[in-house]
Amino acid sequence: MRSGQLRKTGALAAMIFTSAMMMNNAEALTVYTAGPGSLAKNLAAGYEKKTGVKVNIFQATTGKVMARLEAEQANPQADILISASWDTAEDLQQRGWLMPYQSPNAAHVPERFKTADYVAQGISALGIVWNSNSGTPEPKEWRDLTRAPFKDKVTTPDPALSGASLDLLIGLQNSLGDRAWTLFSDLKANGMVISGPNAQAVMPVLQGAKAAVFGAVDYVTYNNIANGEAVKVIFPASGTVVAPRPMMILKSTPHAEQAKAFIDYVLSAEGQQQVADAWLMPARSDIQAKRPLFSDLKILPAKSDGTSERAGILQRFNALFNTH
Amino acid sequence: MLLTLLVALPLLFIFLQALFPALGEGSLRGILSAFPATLQDPRLPTLLFGTLSSGVGVAAMSLLIGVPLGALRAQMPPPAARLWDILFLIPFLTPPYISALSWMLALQENGYLQQLTGLETNNILFSRIGMVLVMTFNIFPVVYFAVSRSMLAGGQRLADVARVHGATPWRAFWHITLPMSLPALVAGALLAFTLAVEEYGVPAAIGSRAGVSVLTVAIEEKLADWPIDLSGASILSLLLMLMALAAFMLQRRLTGQQDVTVITGKPMPQQHVGGGRWRIPLLLIFSAVALITLVLPIASMMITAFLATLSGGLHLSQLTLRHFSALFAWRGEALSALGTSLSLALGAAIITGFLGLLIAWMVAEKKVRGVASIDALALLPAALPGVVIGVGLILLWNRPFWPISPYNSGLILLLSYCCLFLPWPVRYVSSALKQLGATLAPAARVHGASASQALRLIILPLVFPSLLASMMMVFAVASRELVTSLLLAPAGTQTVSIFIWRQFEQGSVGQGMAMACLAMAISLSVMLLALALLTRSTR
Repeated sequence: MRSGQLRKTGALAAMIFTSAMMMNNAEALTVYTAGPGSLAKNLAAGYEKKTGVKVNIFQATTGKVMARLEAEQANPQADILISASWDTAEDLQQRGWLMPYQSPNAAHVPERFKTADYVAQGISALGIVWNSNSGTPEPKEWRDLTRAPFKDKVTTPDPALSGASLDLLIGLQNSLGDRAWTLFSDLKANGMVISGPNAQAVMPVLQGAKAAVFGAVDYVTYNNIANGEAVKVIFPASGTVVAPRPMMILKSTPHAEQAKAFIDYVLSAEGQQQVADAWLMPARSDIQAKRPLFSDLKILPAKSDGTSERAGILQRFNALFNTH
Repeated sequence: MLLTLLVALPLLFIFLQALFPALGEGSLRGILSAFPATLQDPRLPTLLFGTLSSGVGVAAMSLLIGVPLGALRAQMPPPAARLWDILFLIPFLTPPYISALSWMLALQENGYLQQLTGLETNNILFSRIGMVLVMTFNIFPVVYFAVSRSMLAGGQRLADVARVHGATPWRAFWHITLPMSLPALVAGALLAFTLAVEEYGVPAAIGSRAGVSVLTVAIEEKLADWPIDLSGASILSLLLMLMALAAFMLQRRLTGQQDVTVITGKPMPQQHVGGGRWRIPLLLIFSAVALITLVLPIASMMITAFLATLSGGLHLSQLTLRHFSALFAWRGEALSALGTSLSLALGAAIITGFLGLLIAWMVAEKKVRGVASIDALALLPAALPGVVIGVGLILLWNRPFWPISPYNSGLILLLSYCCLFLPWPVRYVSSALKQLGATLAPAARVHGASASQALRLIILPLVFPSLLASMMMVFAVASRELVTSLLLAPAGTQTVSIFIWRQFEQGSVGQGMAMACLAMAISLSVMLLALALLTRSTR
């Protein structure tokens, strides 16, 4: 009986090994992407149908995608990178990792969402996510969350874990200056808590443990609303921050032509419609969506001059909230 | 040897990454430049204290629950003893991030408990104690299994001798049975400690709200936002490893000299003090523990899976199968993720079981030089955050100079699981080996058996219960491993945990929980099946 078991073990191991080997497909295009997995899937399927070229997707948070990219430097695997943070693209461009490419379909993308090296796939915005069953008055402005009805009822994603959330802090500081810090300390005084990455901040609001999220990524919530959750996304009239999702070709790619064709596809009307269906704003201004578009929002200046300011703001925010 | 390949090389690359920030591009410039910033971080003392205190807290609480329960299981088995074993394995099948979420959904303000009973538990959950308890509920089974297996294997003989000489049952237990399972107990506590300090899900979800900062969360943060700080993360991981090494030394100190021989080769009928009039209290105790550690989080998980929306609250009208049917609408993705996870977990359980047995045996025989370092090496991965092992494996295997590399295939996941979970069989088997008589194997050798024959025919059958228990645990943990999988899964491959995690990220808590229910049901039945087959074949 024992030798039989051993044989079984061997056969099993062999099965695992061969199936593992078969997963390698040299001809396929490899796309590393942050953001909605279903969107990546649909884009890959659409492109595959058009061209017959298989697309392998590695989907994770921006941090995981970038960590993998950085660890793989010695032997790059990705052909295309779609990140959720504009900074990453700027940085990679400065390092000389990117292959410049302007897709003809990018003609409809506004200037601020494209450069010679990269272009937005879609855009998300940060807003207040509010539970309409919570018995609190509907907030209209960031400041409203510092008022009495929201005492101990507000949560926010950890800016250390969410680049978009940090962008909001930077945007508010750039437009309000020191008043931004008054806002943050008033929020703290009103009992706002920091909870994990984006999804973890939204969950307590869905269940009603909290009434509102200060600065959540919008598309996740639109998806929740579509599924019947009683929540609302509110974009303050005083302004918010958008997070364009840069799409770029890595210089190391052995499949340059296919990579370009993939970018073209994502920026085609069909591809952009899929982006809209994932509740993101399409990067092209001529594609409609079932949600507010960037032209409807007041956008705060999110640019900061490099990493030291980002790190400084994060540190100040953490010190204020005493999380670490 | 394999240990080098599985453990030492990835560790080496983590170490190198800590030293050379530009290692990823194959350059050695900037040596040591990451150390000052990381080590002078004013948060460091808080991080170290937070990690250490939650590790010690979880180990202590696990002992508190696991030792009495394990002792009862072995000394006066409750009715349906095997069933309880299986039940207490379930916390392992529940990924920590899911149980953290389940507990939050159940206990936070306006959570299920409050909706049902009006009890307010929010402040207990989001506290240091709450975090330690939630982690303990997941981790205490390591102590339970270590203690109960070792007492079962140890048998009653020595305690019976004490009874014959007039000791009360309590005295016999206190002076004979308990000290004899001390190695297993300490090994279990050590595993609980290392599991707790390595844990990411619960501290991230609950700890951050409770004001507890731990190393793993800080490491994750260094890897979460641009610019990525690989070297800083590696340095913090090395600190975590040092902590585990210290715990390991402590364990060797405590148990190293004590060898208690209870299995001498003479036949020894297993007889237990039957439940008798203790049946009902025993059942009550076991049920109470199961209710808190198992039923509550799983109920919360299942409620979420069957609930149409979270904001709608608990109403019958909210009942839906939508989340489950959505799973099958994923173009077979959910099912293939299940298949991938199960076969990887099975592979990891078999490989680590085999290696673990070999390593534990070599360490026990003390035939090879440097056994202590082999032992330590086999334990270290338990203290490493998965994400760092992931980075180490990429740095190691994604190099142009390898003629053939497992990277970018499912094999890399198998490698990482083997590396991560090797400590389990090693710990469990070596604590079982400590109870074997020193004369058994030599006796076989004298009678002409080769070393491998002695291992196969004498040692293996005797430590088999412990080995099997540890392999089942590896299977359970590997089938839901998240952090390493997220980083290492080749483009286009998914595991169950990745699938669930992505559902959560996209805000589909219900669908994630539905998948979690399905995955747990399947891996549980696989384990039950394996157990049933094994009991039949050993009869």
